[in-house]
Amino acid sequence: MNNEARQEILSSIRTHLAASAPFDARESPVNHAVVLSAQPVASNLIDLFKENLEAVDGHCIVAHGDAEIAEALTQIISALQKTKLRAQRIAISDAPELERLMYMTDLEIEELGIAPNASDIFRFDVGITTGQAAIAETGTLVLDSAHERHRLVSLVPPVHIAIVDASTIYATVGETLSMLKIGKELSPAVTFITGPSRTADIELTLTIGVHGPQELYVIINQSPRCT
Amino acid sequence: MKVSLFVTCLVDQLWTSIGVSSVEVLRRVGCEVEFDRRQTCCAQPAYNTGYLKEARQVAQRFISIFEESKADAIVSPSGSCTAMVHHYPQLFAGDNEWLPRARAVAAKTHELSSFLIRVLKVEDVGASWEGRLTWHDACHGLRDLNLKSEPRTLIRNVRGAEFVELEHADACCGFGGTFSVKYPEISLAILDQKIDAIERAGVNAVVSGDASCLMQIGGRLSRKGSKVRVMHLAELLGHR
Amino acid sequence: MNHLSSETFRENARAALADVHLRGALKNATSLFGERRRVAAASLPNWEDLRSEARAIKDEVLSHLDKYLEEFVRTAESRGAKIHWARDAAEANTIICRLSAERKASVIVKSKSMTTEETHLNTALEAAGMQVVETDLGEYIIQLADEPPSHIIAPAIHKTRGQVAELFTSELGTPPTDDIAQLTSTARATLRDRFAAADVGISGVNFAIAETGTIVIVENEGNIRLTTSLPRLHIAVMGIEKVIPRFADLDVFLKLLPRSGTGQRLTTYQSFITGTKRHATDEGPEELHILLLDNGRSRMLAHPVTRQSLACIRCGACLNACPVYQQIGGHAYGSVYPGPIGAVITPQLMGLEKASQLPYASSLCGACREVCPVKIDIPRLLLHLRGEISERKGSARERLAFKLWARVMMSPVLYKMSSVAGRVLQRVVPISKAWTSGRDLRPIEPRSFHELWSDE
Repeated sequence: MNNEARQEILSSIRTHLAASAPFDARESPVNHAVVLSAQPVASNLIDLFKENLEAVDGHCIVAHGDAEIAEALTQIISALQKTKLRAQRIAISDAPELERLMYMTDLEIEELGIAPNASDIFRFDVGITTGQAAIAETGTLVLDSAHERHRLVSLVPPVHIAIVDASTIYATVGETLSMLKIGKELSPAVTFITGPSRTADIELTLTIGVHGPQELYVIINQSPRCT
Repeated sequence: MKVSLFVTCLVDQLWTSIGVSSVEVLRRVGCEVEFDRRQTCCAQPAYNTGYLKEARQVAQRFISIFEESKADAIVSPSGSCTAMVHHYPQLFAGDNEWLPRARAVAAKTHELSSFLIRVLKVEDVGASWEGRLTWHDACHGLRDLNLKSEPRTLIRNVRGAEFVELEHADACCGFGGTFSVKYPEISLAILDQKIDAIERAGVNAVVSGDASCLMQIGGRLSRKGSKVRVMHLAELLGHR
Repeated sequence: MNHLSSETFRENARAALADVHLRGALKNATSLFGERRRVAAASLPNWEDLRSEARAIKDEVLSHLDKYLEEFVRTAESRGAKIHWARDAAEANTIICRLSAERKASVIVKSKSMTTEETHLNTALEAAGMQVVETDLGEYIIQLADEPPSHIIAPAIHKTRGQVAELFTSELGTPPTDDIAQLTSTARATLRDRFAAADVGISGVNFAIAETGTIVIVENEGNIRLTTSLPRLHIAVMGIEKVIPRFADLDVFLKLLPRSGTGQRLTTYQSFITGTKRHATDEGPEELHILLLDNGRSRMLAHPVTRQSLACIRCGACLNACPVYQQIGGHAYGSVYPGPIGAVITPQLMGLEKASQLPYASSLCGACREVCPVKIDIPRLLLHLRGEISERKGSARERLAFKLWARVMMSPVLYKMSSVAGRVLQRVVPISKAWTSGRDLRPIEPRSFHELWSDE
């Protein structure tokens, strides 16, 4: 850290704030009403999440337990295999259930990579991860890097499939932000993902699929024991 | 109800019928109108061009004159001039002598349509005018004084007048005081958007609450040989 | 780079007004963005409360900026980030060049950062022999075109697809195509190579959280995630005003920023980065360096009216709402920051003398103030700057004119005489061409209202 610059900048801040004091006193107090109205209570978080994710061109499938999840993966990937997205080289994160689920699918693929590193990740067609949480009001997937090695798997391949437990769907962004912090230190990297990547930089025409994935599938695991 | 008229220098010099109509309308709804002949200007031109010392001098004169009035309200046919008077407290912030006086005068000063609707609670002033017309929301009246429904309510009660809402009624006309002559090409480019909307509306007249906007819009319409006329709200309301 | 200068604003504006393509592009962009923002704001019944709260948070931070910056530095450093302070653009560029050179960087990927445009970082890095690639599609396009951004949110808004196609053909050798999906795909493929090869990733920062030492960066394309995950070194550049107190404060700003900028509820990605990875084998950069830039910002703290300039969250809503920007676009301002916010911060950052025309290029309509998510009173700021400029470098003629004007307005006798004089003079003195070149002018009334009243 460059101390001289630090000292000068902090000093400049203090000096100028002090100079402002007489003028501040003359400003009529502005009434910044701080009344955040109560958030509407979502009745069905899964439905709300699905609706909001689909509104931003994401796909949402609700499954109950491993067999249905594996079935969903089979359907998604075999459909993709018929397109130019190929879906032959599948990268999965290091979440233990993913390898098991992939074997349950019985899919024919060229390669399965487990949390490939930066030099390898670019050759994969599909990345499969779990998600640590989801946000119903926006259709957002939450990835927490402390829990899983999924930073590149969720980003580089053109297709991202994420499996999220229904019990980790929060109603609002505000609640989710609280959850991320409660009782623990924030992870080095937390990512909110709301749909596939997009741009409108050329003539404001929406194009899906730029640098991040162009397809996002979220499979919600609603365990048969819960409603 | 006794009203002291603040006619504004622009109306006084360039558009007296606005002042005459304002008096007519105020009397028609039962007000006694006084006019202090010492009045000149609210200081907006100096204030907006950054000449605060001169703005304060002229504002002090305004305050000195109008604080003497025994009228219940000071009423003006200009949103921008009224907004200027409402800015007097800011102009005299920190000045122990002038700040309270500025506040007192500002609190008593109203724009015409605001005075009719919000203070007198009058929505129909018995006016009539035949034809199709539209309304341009002058910026200061709209954003500083929150005038949106008030003029429209008054217009809708003008017998015989067919009111159509202008596309982007709240878009600036491009006047902006000295801006119109400092950056005339930009001013005209902005103005032409407004003119296009007016032509598309197919109206006989465009009405507004600020003479400055009307000069800007009217000046362009006449240059283009348009049959659309411009009218101040007071002139419309004064019409029978 | 052939940048226009703020000092030639009038000429720049004239040229922009004559550019039919540009005006068409601006009309589409600003009305589309404006409408989306309007709809998005209307969808939140407590929108006004959110604006008030955001402004209250910003006011709190700015009036104690030293304290919050020091807290941010403490928490960020405790999580492994290295902090650098830069007093001005040159110092910022020097630090970043040094960091890159020390790590023998040859390929640098960048995501969109207005702050680095402000310091002309790319020029400095290239002069130091390093290859810098802009990865945001709009920024990539203008980098190829060697032009500055024309809008805060959509930097290449002034370019038609045809122009982009031509650019790609001449710079990248790709076959000509008008298909936007194809063009985007070309950019993606070209840039992926760069991401894979990059030694350093440079990003901006939308919010820096004092409580946790977290930097938050928002985007739609995914290039920020790539820039901040793949290279070994991540340098995040932020103006000192970007700090906000608590992690929970993000809720308010994440509601306001995407809606105000593009009408989205949330942009596709938000990256919350807190320090460096915990284990060497984890994914992500080995090093995180955060550069805090002053470059004139601390000076703006000296008055409540100017201090609010620093509340800006760079959403671009004011640009879309501004009747002047809608006609002339961003390049005419001759500054990285165009539009209403640009008209007030450019003179403050660059010096009044260098951008003295900008505060006058406004009709003071107030549309910007209406849409600003943090309630910056830009018209008031413009008037404040006009006051400063007229005091320090105003034209002597104009000052004299207003002195005389004040004399006249303070004396009913002089006032009356001047209107009589005006009626005579208007027949012989040519009225300002600036008005009459496009508009007719009402003649002075033969009898003033004062005189009519006396008749009664």
